[in-house]
Amino acid sequence: MQLIAMAGPVAAALTLAAGAAHAQGLVFTPGEDDRFSWPSYEAFAESHDLSGKTLDISGVWTGPDKDLVESVLAYFEAATGARVRYSGSESFEQDIVIAAQAGSAPNIAVFPQPGLAADMARRGFLSPLGADTADWVRANYAAGESWVDLGTYEDEIGAEALYGFFYKIDVKSLVWYVPDAFAEAGYEVPDTLEDLKALTERIAEEGGTPWCIGLGSGAATGWPATDWVEDLMLRREAPGTYDAWVSHQIPFNDPAVVGAIEDYGWFARNDAYVEGGAQAVATTDFRESPAGLFTFPPGCYMHRQASFIDTYFPEGSEIGLDVDFFYFPAYAERDLGRPVLGAGTLWAITRESEAAHVFIDFLKTPIAHEVWMAQSGFLTPFTGASPEAYATDSMRAQGEILTSATTFRFDGSDLMPGEIGADAFWKGMVAYTTGRSDAETAAQEIERRWNAIR
Amino acid sequence: MSPLLQGIATILIGVGGCVGYFYGANLLLDRVIFPPSGRDPGANISRANAVRPWLFMAPAMAALGLYLVYPVLGSFWRSLFNRDGGSFIGLGNYTDLAADPAFRTAVLNNLLWVLVVPAASTFLGLVAAQLTDRIRWGNIAKSIIFMPMAISFVGASLIWKFVYANEADIGLLNAIRAALGFDDPIDVIQIPFWNNFFLMAILIWIQTGFAMVILSAALRGIPDETIEAAILDGANPFQIFFRIMVPQITGTILVVWTTITILVLKVFDIVYTMTGGNFGTQILPSYMMSYMFKDDGRATAVAFVIMLIVLPVMVWNILQARKEMR
Repeated sequence: MQLIAMAGPVAAALTLAAGAAHAQGLVFTPGEDDRFSWPSYEAFAESHDLSGKTLDISGVWTGPDKDLVESVLAYFEAATGARVRYSGSESFEQDIVIAAQAGSAPNIAVFPQPGLAADMARRGFLSPLGADTADWVRANYAAGESWVDLGTYEDEIGAEALYGFFYKIDVKSLVWYVPDAFAEAGYEVPDTLEDLKALTERIAEEGGTPWCIGLGSGAATGWPATDWVEDLMLRREAPGTYDAWVSHQIPFNDPAVVGAIEDYGWFARNDAYVEGGAQAVATTDFRESPAGLFTFPPGCYMHRQASFIDTYFPEGSEIGLDVDFFYFPAYAERDLGRPVLGAGTLWAITRESEAAHVFIDFLKTPIAHEVWMAQSGFLTPFTGASPEAYATDSMRAQGEILTSATTFRFDGSDLMPGEIGADAFWKGMVAYTTGRSDAETAAQEIERRWNAIR
Repeated sequence: MSPLLQGIATILIGVGGCVGYFYGANLLLDRVIFPPSGRDPGANISRANAVRPWLFMAPAMAALGLYLVYPVLGSFWRSLFNRDGGSFIGLGNYTDLAADPAFRTAVLNNLLWVLVVPAASTFLGLVAAQLTDRIRWGNIAKSIIFMPMAISFVGASLIWKFVYANEADIGLLNAIRAALGFDDPIDVIQIPFWNNFFLMAILIWIQTGFAMVILSAALRGIPDETIEAAILDGANPFQIFFRIMVPQITGTILVVWTTITILVLKVFDIVYTMTGGNFGTQILPSYMMSYMFKDDGRATAVAFVIMLIVLPVMVWNILQARKEMR
């Protein structure tokens, strides 16, 4: 019994010491290295004092990502004197709902996607971030209106407000290619989707295979095709149509959607355009599908996939040198600007406190973005953050795609109900890709399942 | 407390609790409730003996009730609600299932699995049991046939994914085709209808060993006299096997058969890992999985349908096993 009684103070003393050590262990010394925007950070530090206050944060980031987010939080601690306790959970999505219902929610939660956050806002578990934050996002994020829309949800009585602050974004609208292979064959990076299609036709005519596409992903087989359709949807239709599609205000078999599916089919259902032929697309594992880029002669010249795919490139291949990417271009004739498809995480206040609001203000300082940018795996649409801070050229180029976007849309299948976005849509795309059903039938089947939701 | 101490404490409390319960309950029954004294001690003793079995079964029944009966009833109740459990929709989930073509495909495919897999596994197991009993290296052959039993379904699926791979350099099947002079690899997982059989092959591969072991034990239990008599009467080996031996182990064959049938109705890992239910290979459990954590009402309804289908097989299995034991 005595042992337990002792353990409390000892543990507290230990964490205090760890917290203090943490605050000192800033990865980049403030004031040094002019890639970072130190002045705004110092101004923030001077105008905020939270000494003796604590801030609890829960999120999805675990492992190396936990260390990275804590390296950012350390700056908040150093600037304000507050103590931040971050806990990452593999089962965040269950934990946060339980914690909120039990009244023991952390001050701030990091959601992996908007769906659950919107759900929690509707149940009254989130606090609005305020109109000034909405204005700030509108003014300082590229495609700001898109980000405000993505973070705006209805509360219990149906009133809309901004609840989510987006932070750490992934870009999906990328086409990977091998610059050497392009140079050797005399191909050029296309600026428009028309050019991309012309290039596809030209490669096929010259005896090459333009694309590597793989939909295989075990039980999740088919999801890469949904990204294709979403990307094409943004390039064929106004963003409003995309939103109406994702929120089921227009049926899934609306001609606009069927058109986007058929456009995807233009690439994937042509035996001459895809490595291994259209039949192979459905069973080729998405992790193995980029392999064709790296063979000699090239198994294929292009691969459309999100930023994470470099993990599955052959060991030691250097982005920018051995392999590179370009923005999946938009149709010139449709004049829809530069839409970007992606995904990302967002911060929301799950329990009001002064520190929580100050923390949201901290996220508006460039340093809150630059510290992570300078390490790894972090893209931001915040135009005030210095692109110089990016650790690599390839991250900088991806960041630029994000900051030059005119529209940003979140991965649609992630926003649809689970049985649609994470089942029916996948299966429908597999059936369409293999030719078991045409675009109209596949879309109809998905629509039927969406209507069957009670 | 260290895990070891926790474990020991748990065992002591558990075992002590059981002993204590039975001892205490007996004492209470014999000394307090129906003491063998008073006006009619004989009647009290027989009353106590009538109550005793129930008293001893009570903990087991309570546990079964809590972990079996209650979940079944609870699941049925849950299947009458919508996806997030918010509103009561009666049998709506069931009528939706009936109207869903994918559900019908799953039922038909499952029917195919139930017909083919137990039959093939039992038959192959029976043949393997008989043949391996006759040869010198039979035990080695038996071990090899039994080995897949030790592999998880997901592991087995991964192995067969390589066998079926769409490339001649990886896939055994396509390598054989290439060796025979066909130069176009085929993806058997995508051949409509027949792909079901290629998936079933995996489960048959796993279950044949199980059937073989049980049936081999049964075959050894056949009295030699009956076989000797058949030989003396001039029966050929086939007649001995099918007319003399098989009829004597029919009960065991049926138990093996129904046991595998129950397994088939539950198995989902193979379809889930091999095709994810695509290309028309959906079966009931994988169909259920596509609703699980998304539409709990619908998923529970599917679970209930599976239970209704398993139930008669289960009852039949228990009856057979009982007959065997007599």
